[in-house]
Amino acid sequence: MSTVTGQAAFAGDPAVSPRRAGLLRRIVNHRADYLYVLPAIVVMLVVIGYPIYYTIELSLFKTPPNLQMKDKIFVGLDNYVTILRSASFRDVTLNTLIWTAGSTLFAFLLGLGAALSLHREFMGRGVLRALLLIPYVVSAVAASYVWKWLYHSDFGVIGALAVQFQLSDRPINFLDNLHSVLPSLIVVNIWKEFSFAMIMLMAGLQTVPDQLLRAAQVDGANAWQRFWHVTFPHLKSVSMVTVLLLMVANFNSFIIPWIMTGGGPAGASDIWITQIYNLAFGRQRYGVASAYSVILFIVMMTLGYFYVRALTRGDEARAG
Amino acid sequence: MTDATFSSRAITKRPIDWWRWSGRVFLVFLLLFTVLPMVWMVLTSIKTQFAAMQYPPQWWPAEPTLQNYARLLDPSNSVGQEFLRYFWNSFYVALTTTVIGVVVAVPAAYAFSRFRFPGRTFLFFSVLLRNMFPAVVFLMPLFLLMRWLGLVNTHGSLILTYLTFGLPLSIWLLKGFYDNIPIQLEQAARIDGATRFQAFILIVMPLSSPGIIATSIFSFIGAWNEYVYAYTFLSKQESMTLPVGIQRFFTEFATDWPGLMAATFLMSVPVVVLFLVLQKYFVRALTEGAVKN
Repeated sequence: MSTVTGQAAFAGDPAVSPRRAGLLRRIVNHRADYLYVLPAIVVMLVVIGYPIYYTIELSLFKTPPNLQMKDKIFVGLDNYVTILRSASFRDVTLNTLIWTAGSTLFAFLLGLGAALSLHREFMGRGVLRALLLIPYVVSAVAASYVWKWLYHSDFGVIGALAVQFQLSDRPINFLDNLHSVLPSLIVVNIWKEFSFAMIMLMAGLQTVPDQLLRAAQVDGANAWQRFWHVTFPHLKSVSMVTVLLLMVANFNSFIIPWIMTGGGPAGASDIWITQIYNLAFGRQRYGVASAYSVILFIVMMTLGYFYVRALTRGDEARAG
Repeated sequence: MTDATFSSRAITKRPIDWWRWSGRVFLVFLLLFTVLPMVWMVLTSIKTQFAAMQYPPQWWPAEPTLQNYARLLDPSNSVGQEFLRYFWNSFYVALTTTVIGVVVAVPAAYAFSRFRFPGRTFLFFSVLLRNMFPAVVFLMPLFLLMRWLGLVNTHGSLILTYLTFGLPLSIWLLKGFYDNIPIQLEQAARIDGATRFQAFILIVMPLSSPGIIATSIFSFIGAWNEYVYAYTFLSKQESMTLPVGIQRFFTEFATDWPGLMAATFLMSVPVVVLFLVLQKYFVRALTEGAVKN
């Protein structure tokens, strides 16, 4: 490892590595630094780069169901047209939007409420926080089975409770009903992930200066005004990142709908991801599934762009 | 100081703080929402099959029994054998992924934190953007890739996949920890004659151990809980991990709900224990990077 490069990079001193130097020269100067990143890059190129390329390629082909990819036929953009024209596309997209927006919104609101309520020191606060975090830690598979049992149409405890409190005259069939299935799944998802929002926002709350809140209080601001005008503006960037991460996670979530309903009944809880899985591994239509993936990919990249922007705003400010 | 005592006294003097009370009520609601499903899982797991299938349900098991657990943990019957095998597979895959992942992520994170090489930002964002990609998108090409590599139905396929998908997050987490270690410490070591590598091993590594612990917990929990790839790559029963195995296991008997609840309980124990013991690191890892101080 060259000492000169090391020191130049070491201090991160802009004066030592002048912007004027040619890109090639800078790359050569820094060649040793790449060694540190190389293992990660190689692994990722194989397992991420290749699949992305392959998915895009497959999306342009009609693929045989037996996975003999050498028999695939080039069809151009036909797969995309098939998807966009298909009758189910609109419903599945609508489900995806409801699922993503509903889960994200409520998980965020519950998390915000929890974070604000837990901000003040009190006895048992740590225990409470730990308990609330457990659903986030356990596997979504476990969560799905537990909730499937809670929702069970004959012996489910939620239905039984509803009868007990006379909200319903017989056990409710949550998961086999076209109208109740998606909200029921969203509740499970919220259960699973609201504490993520809580933790993020609790960390964000610590950046709110106490003096400001006190000053506002002295000036006669009530609790709501203190929250809206002092606390919330400080939470803006954390909220941004949290909402985006939740959105991405929800957009991509597969386990809960897959295990609990498999997209049913009659596609009422089918979202993009379950649809793609069904197309690929249920109906062996890899080309169409790939095209679907590419569309999803584009949506994700758009979200990703905002994510990175929200995330690096602080980074750049700090780096100067 | 006087200001602080003054204002806190002002708060306590108020008759009723409605906001505080609504916060408490809200927390009670959240606690019930979070805990009741878990309580019902445990209650069901200590019922017999017959007791679980009653309407109205037995709110409290009339004859609590541990037979469901005993059956799952007893290696002498076939159910127990299968379950323990899945358990071991999950453990093996998660541990291997974690160890290799840390070994690869540490130098990368260090480089991202310390060096300013061309392409650094680009590489870094590509690392970061990985968080955005749904597993299902990669499933098909990876499945074909694994078939080509002859890794289908092996734990190697899962370890390789988890490794890759865990890496971006690991690097990102670790970078946050390295950013907080003052460069001056290394510089001092270098002046005293240490090579960069020595400075890294002797100074930076020990200081970043909280970061390494946090990252390890994350990747272990992630690998332990992973379902989609395991579900697709593994079709042989003896190589299955818990999330997949559990499903196979119980759909055969259709509705052994108490058994299933006992199995999900046992499956959750390792991650919950790990989380509770190392909670501080876990929470820090979760928020690291997203919240700038």
